[in-house]
Amino acid sequence: MKIAPMQVKFSYLDRQFSNIDTYFSDLKKFVISGDFTLGNALHEFERQFAALCRIPFAIGVGSGTDALVLSLKVLGIGSGDEVITTPTTFIATVGAIVQAGAKPVFVDSEDGFVIDSSKVEAKLTKRTKAIIPVHYTGNVADMPTLERIARKHNLAIIEDACQAIGAEIDGKPVGSWGVTACFSLHPLKNLNVWGDGGVIVTRSEDIAEKLKLYRNHGLENRDEVSIFGWNSRLDTLQAVIGNRLIREVGFITDQRIANATYYDDAFRNLQDYIHVPKRRSNVKHVYHLYVIRVEKRDQLLAYLQKNGIEAKVHYPIPVHLQRAARYLGYKEGDFPVSESDAKSIITLPAHQHLTREELDYTVDKVRNFYKERTANTAEQICGNRK
Amino acid sequence: MKIMDTNTINKTHISYTDLTGQHAYLKDELLEAVSNVLDRCQFILGPEVEAFEQRFAELCGVSHAVAVNSGTDALVLALRALDVGSGDEVITVPNSFVATTSAIVLARARPVFIDVRDDYNMDPSQIESVITSRTKAILPVHLTGRPAEMNTILEIAKRHHLYVIEDAAQAVLAAYHTKRVGSFGTIGCFSLHPLKTLNACGDGGVLTTNDSGLFKRLKILRNLGLESRDRCSAWSGNSRLDTIQAAMLLVKLKYLPKWTEQRRLNAEFYLKQLGGLSEIRLPIEQSYEKCVYHTFVIRTDRRDELKSYLADNQVETAIHYPIPLHLQESAASLNYKIGMFPMAEAQANHILSLPIYPELGQEKLNRVVSVIKKFYRG
Repeated sequence: MKIAPMQVKFSYLDRQFSNIDTYFSDLKKFVISGDFTLGNALHEFERQFAALCRIPFAIGVGSGTDALVLSLKVLGIGSGDEVITTPTTFIATVGAIVQAGAKPVFVDSEDGFVIDSSKVEAKLTKRTKAIIPVHYTGNVADMPTLERIARKHNLAIIEDACQAIGAEIDGKPVGSWGVTACFSLHPLKNLNVWGDGGVIVTRSEDIAEKLKLYRNHGLENRDEVSIFGWNSRLDTLQAVIGNRLIREVGFITDQRIANATYYDDAFRNLQDYIHVPKRRSNVKHVYHLYVIRVEKRDQLLAYLQKNGIEAKVHYPIPVHLQRAARYLGYKEGDFPVSESDAKSIITLPAHQHLTREELDYTVDKVRNFYKERTANTAEQICGNRK
Repeated sequence: MKIMDTNTINKTHISYTDLTGQHAYLKDELLEAVSNVLDRCQFILGPEVEAFEQRFAELCGVSHAVAVNSGTDALVLALRALDVGSGDEVITVPNSFVATTSAIVLARARPVFIDVRDDYNMDPSQIESVITSRTKAILPVHLTGRPAEMNTILEIAKRHHLYVIEDAAQAVLAAYHTKRVGSFGTIGCFSLHPLKTLNACGDGGVLTTNDSGLFKRLKILRNLGLESRDRCSAWSGNSRLDTIQAAMLLVKLKYLPKWTEQRRLNAEFYLKQLGGLSEIRLPIEQSYEKCVYHTFVIRTDRRDELKSYLADNQVETAIHYPIPLHLQESAASLNYKIGMFPMAEAQANHILSLPIYPELGQEKLNRVVSVIKKFYRG
C-alpha cells in the first residue's frame, strides 16, 4: 500500500479558526448593525493596532499597497520625484511609487534580504525625496544608518513594514523611524483579515489627520472637499475580524520565531548546500517568510513539492527585471545580490500552526534531497570510472 | 420574498436611509455565504468573485465585468486602462459625488465641466463647445439612478473619437431605450457602497465592458499589474473586491429586482401624492427611461425651511449635493468660478432627497407626504 506523503502547507488559514463561532457571533452583530463604512469596529481596531505597534496613530486603509501610495501622497511626493527602494521586494512597493507618480530608484539588497544601507548615498540625486526600506521577510532594514542618511540629506523615510508586524531593532518597533510605516493585513500576513486590508502608523498627529482625509475622498465633512482624495478605507467588516486576531499576534510571532530557529539549527550541518542569512542579535525578526539560499534550488523546490511540502520562491524575478520596469532602463547585472538571490532562494513553511512533526518532516526531506544527490553524484563518478 | 418593516423600534423617527431593515432578514443567508468562503479560505479573488462578475455582466447586458475595491477605483482603473492620463482632458459634470472628479484627477487627467439639464444629468448640447485636441473621454453620470442622454453623447463621442465612460455608481438596472446602463460606453463603472441600491457590506465596485482586450487589461490592473504570480507587466495598485463581499453580493443580487421595483413604487407614490403641490418640482421619468431612484430628488424655493420642518417632524432628508464640485476647495486649481454652471449651482440650492429605501414601508411614506403637505398647506 502506498502511503500519501504528509502535507505541509504554506498557508495556515484553514487551521486558524479553531474557535470560529466567536467570529460569527461578532459578524452577526456587525451585519445587523449596518455600520459598514468607517464604523466603530474600525476605530477600535485602529486603537488596538497603534497600541500593538507602540506608535501613537494608526489609520486603516484598503491594502498595504494603498498604505504606501497614501503615505507618499501625504508627503507631497509625486511627479518628477525619485524614491529609493530595493528590487528585493513584492512588486507592490514599486507599484505604489509609480501610482504616486514618482520614479523608483533601486539599491541592491544585502545578506538579510533588506536594502544595503551602504549603497544608498551613491543613488541620491537632487530629485530624491524619500527612502522606502522594506522590512522584507519580517527582517528589519538597517534603520539607524538609514535614518542618519535621511537626516543628512533631508529625505523622508516610509517604512514598508507589510511583512514585519511586531519586528524590532535595538528594542524599537518598526514604525519608529519612518514618517509613516505601512502594514498589510492580506490573508497570508502574520496578522491577517479575511480580504484585503492595510494600516498606516505614524507618530505625527498632523499626518494622521491628513491621511484620514486622503483615504476618504478628501471629505472634511459630508459635503466639503478640501483635496481630491482616494477611497481607501479598511472595511469595518475586516476590522471586526482584525479585532479578534490582533490578540494572537504575540503567539503568532513567538511561534514563527521558534519554528525559524528550529530550522536554522537543523540546517547548520548542511552548510555545503544551504546558506542561512546571518541573524543579527539586535533584531527581532518575525519571519513572515522563512527564506534561505540553497544549492540546486529548482530541483529542491520540485522535490519538496513532490513530497507534499508547499515550499515557494519569493520571488524568482527581481523587480527591476520585470516587464513593467523596462522603461526604467535597468538591466541584468545591475543588482548582483538581488539577482543571485532570485536564483537561489527558497521559502519553507514556517507558520504558527505547524506541528513539530511537520517541521521534522520538512527538515528530513531537505536533508534527504542533498544526501540522495551526493550519493547519486558519487555513484555517477564511480560508474564513469568503470 | 418578504420585505419586512423593521422600523417598528422607533415609530416616530424616519431615517433618510436604514440598512438594518435589509440586513435583519438577510443575516442568515449572508453569514452562510461568508461561512462557505471560509471553508475554502480563498479570501482573495476566490470563485465567488468571478461568479459575481458573470452575474453582473448578464444583468447589465454586457460581455464582461471586473469587480474592484470601490466605485472610485472603478473610474480610476477605467481611465488608466484607456491610457487617459497626464495632459488629457475628460468632460464631466460638476453635480456628482466628488469621486467622479477625484478619479479623473487621480488618473492625472484634467476634469472639464459642463452644465446639466433640468433632470440633473449632463447637457449633451454643451459637449462640443469644450472639446479640445486634448479631450480623450466623456464621463457622464447617471445621477439619481436616471440614465443620461446616451444617444446624443455616444453620437458626439463617435464623431470626435472620444471614449465614453459611464459613471453608473447610482444606477444599476436603470435603462434607456430598453438597454441597461453600463452597456453604452466603452466602460461602465458601478459602486457597491453600502448605501447603493446593490450594496456590499463594505466598499466595492465593478466595471462593465464589451471589449475583451479591455477586460483582460482591467483584470491585470486591479491586481498590481500581475499577469501571473511572478510576472508583472504594468505597475498598478491593488483593487480587488474581497471574496467575502462578492459572496454576500451574490445573495443580494437575488433581491435586487424586487428592491428596485419597491423603490420605483415608493417613487410612484410620492409622484402621485405630491403632484398637486405647485411649489415642488418632481422628477419626471421619460417614456424611454427606467429610473431606479437611488435618490428621489425634489426641488423647491424654500428648501432649507422644508428640510428643517421635516427634521422637526422626525423626517430625515439629505442633499445630493449642496456644493457643486467646481466650487469645492479641492477644485481651486481648476479655476472655475461661481456663475459658470448656472443650472448645477441653482439646483444645489433647491434640491432635497426624500427617503426612498425599499424597506421604508407605507406608513412612513404616508407620514413623509403628510408632513410636506402640512408645510405648504398648513
